[in-house]
Amino acid sequence: MQQNDIQQFLKRYFQTNDCSIVEETDGHLTVQLSVELDKELMNRPFYWHYIERTGGTPAPMKLTLITKQNEQTRSLTGERLHFGSPRLHQIFQSAQRRGSYIRLYEQAQAIGPSSIPLHPWLGLNMRISYQCDRKKDQFLSLGLHLISGAIVEQFHEKLQRLALTPKIPDYCFTISPIIKPSSGIGRLEQYVKRIIDQDDHTWAEEAIARWQEDKALLDHFYEDIAEKPECYYIEEEALEEQYKPKITVSIINGGLFYLQPRTA
Amino acid sequence: MIEIEFDSSWQESFVERIEKDGPWASWEMYQLALEAAEHLLIPEFDGLQAPKHLPHLTPLPHQLEVAKQVVEQMNGKAILADEVGLGKTIEAGLILKEYMIRGLVKKVLILVPASLVSQWAMELNEKFFIPAVPQKKSYVWEQCDVVVSSIDTAKRNPHRDIIYEQQYDMVIIDEAHKLKNNKTKNYEFVQNLKKKFCLLLTATPIQNRIEEIFHLVSLLKPGHLGNATYFAETYGKERSLQTDEHLKALVNKVMIRNRRANTGIEWSKRHVETVMIDFSKEERELYEAVQMLKSNGAMLNSQFSLITMLREACSSREALFFTLKNMINKYEGNIPSYFQALMEKINAVTANSKAEKALELIRRIDDKVIIFTEYRATQLYLQWFLQQNGISSVPFRGGFKRGKKDWMKELFKNRVQVLIATEAGGEGINLQFCHHVINYDLPWNPMRLEQRIGRVHRLGQTKDVHIYNFAVRNTVEEHILKLLYDKIRLFERVVGELDDILTKMNMNNLENYLHDIFFHSHNEREMQIKMENLTSMIDLADQLTKGEHYAAK
Repeated sequence: MQQNDIQQFLKRYFQTNDCSIVEETDGHLTVQLSVELDKELMNRPFYWHYIERTGGTPAPMKLTLITKQNEQTRSLTGERLHFGSPRLHQIFQSAQRRGSYIRLYEQAQAIGPSSIPLHPWLGLNMRISYQCDRKKDQFLSLGLHLISGAIVEQFHEKLQRLALTPKIPDYCFTISPIIKPSSGIGRLEQYVKRIIDQDDHTWAEEAIARWQEDKALLDHFYEDIAEKPECYYIEEEALEEQYKPKITVSIINGGLFYLQPRTA
Repeated sequence: MIEIEFDSSWQESFVERIEKDGPWASWEMYQLALEAAEHLLIPEFDGLQAPKHLPHLTPLPHQLEVAKQVVEQMNGKAILADEVGLGKTIEAGLILKEYMIRGLVKKVLILVPASLVSQWAMELNEKFFIPAVPQKKSYVWEQCDVVVSSIDTAKRNPHRDIIYEQQYDMVIIDEAHKLKNNKTKNYEFVQNLKKKFCLLLTATPIQNRIEEIFHLVSLLKPGHLGNATYFAETYGKERSLQTDEHLKALVNKVMIRNRRANTGIEWSKRHVETVMIDFSKEERELYEAVQMLKSNGAMLNSQFSLITMLREACSSREALFFTLKNMINKYEGNIPSYFQALMEKINAVTANSKAEKALELIRRIDDKVIIFTEYRATQLYLQWFLQQNGISSVPFRGGFKRGKKDWMKELFKNRVQVLIATEAGGEGINLQFCHHVINYDLPWNPMRLEQRIGRVHRLGQTKDVHIYNFAVRNTVEEHILKLLYDKIRLFERVVGELDDILTKMNMNNLENYLHDIFFHSHNEREMQIKMENLTSMIDLADQLTKGEHYAAK
């Protein structure tokens, strides 16, 4: 993530959460926090407790975030942010918490007098983590048509090309899902499982080989000892935790999308 | 075939929101959440993610290489055995950060010598943004994810039991050569720790016997060098790591050792200058008067006091006065007459020859200078003396709080010419912007001297460093300087070399040894002979160390 991207991300994050941008240059951002974000980011529970107890006027803080070191920002007091800084990760987490669930409607233009039906889709953005003593993630965005059961990949990318709105547009009506969203999740999980099964799993085989190798060494180390000491079992367990291949699928975010039926 | 786990935590809340018709995120918030998550995805099994999280840190090529090798080829279990001064802590920090970013490590136990606990915690926080906490209260074990402690604390109950209940993902042990003996409590404690990922840090993986490496490796990866019987039969007692290629290859699978010579780092030069000072008549009389106390055995209950007073007399009359005053207070009015005599001699001294020399030198250097002294009274005096002569300075002490240290460093960097420090301390203050060090008086412990110089002469110093060692002629100082300078050739050595030698000699208490020589020698001749003996021991250790370096290449 480049410094420019960080500043853009921050600006959008604060604006969409009702914080006003007080000052902005190429390299820094000063925001007036909302009460809600002050509570979430600034870690001052005693202050908020005090304000709430005494009924005082809340004064949320201003936050200056510096993304570039240049002539203008050198003299500023504020927090210097880069990709690894704890503040940015705190904001990443906040963003993920705040953007987990969604329901949107496609902004469809009615042609003629008839109203437009909008079909329900379940959209999930998922992370597949392949883990042994090493780790890799894969991103997957799937959409499930909650009437036909059809599954579409790169669903999020497709959504980004549409005009979407949180309220049902005029002259539109929604069709009730035949597949319940919770069983829809189940169907998508099965689909993910099939994708994973077809994957190349050399990484897992190699991890198991490393595991067996270390296990053989361990057994050899204690082979002269009739009754194995406790540390043998501790080590055995540690090897399992270190090497055992595991795949975790977690949902980053997702929700319901009511879309116009289309042929493509 | 492979276990697949579906995380169901998202689902529950989703169903609830459908029932309650919300709350729903905005489209923008939803996209931001996804972008954040995508930035944190780990694209590949290979390579390092940590550097892009740490743009302010510029690891050296060999440090990055070590981190990569540990993660990609050693499966996260390794002995990091670089020579002193090459940044093992940075390597360990990089590796730990890498595993934390990848989500493979969350709970971490870091065991280091007691004196380094806070420094480790600080470096991990400041350089790596790893929220490491020094263990001070016993609830820390359970409540904090990354804990730094001394092994001596950790191995004792109640800590020991609590630690064994934790599920650590990574264990890091600094100064791991202390675990060379498998019969010790420390060894047993570490052996029974669950070590999923593990880093053992040591600059001296083998000190004496080949079994030491066997015990160290067996702690990390039991069986890698066979079991005890097999090892003894195969490699025996007479063999060494250098002569056995097979053993060396095996060890190298779990150990990385970079040497200064082959890191390709250009170290800037050290220019060392001895500055001999002659006492004024009054100062000489004062020094002799202190020396006379030696024959007056009744009054001084320890050799330490006498030698301290001699050294103080070489530093400043203020330093000596301070000690004397404390001693007099203990006599509660019943003051022996020789104290009175000493006080008179102190009063007779009107100028400080050393301080005048320092002033002259500082003016000539006309650049930033650090003055190190052993005594606080001297520190205060020097600050006053320089002020009188139009040179501003700031003091620096080990006891300053972090904030004050940083403030003094800033002042020194931007405003004043001189910093007067009493303690080099391992407190990790880097003063690379300064290139001149005056050792106003010399510490007797060579490692402390090394630490002093290390404040300015370290990795990253681009300019040559000038070191001025002050010593008063015909005093203890001259003896010490001769030993450190001519015999040990301390100042010519590269960083850390002396550390190897002293460890090899088991000579961590060189200072006590010197005290002994000075106090118990009946005459100059005896003292010289003892010094010669010491020098030849050091030479021997030096050769042994060099031999080892040669053979291990």
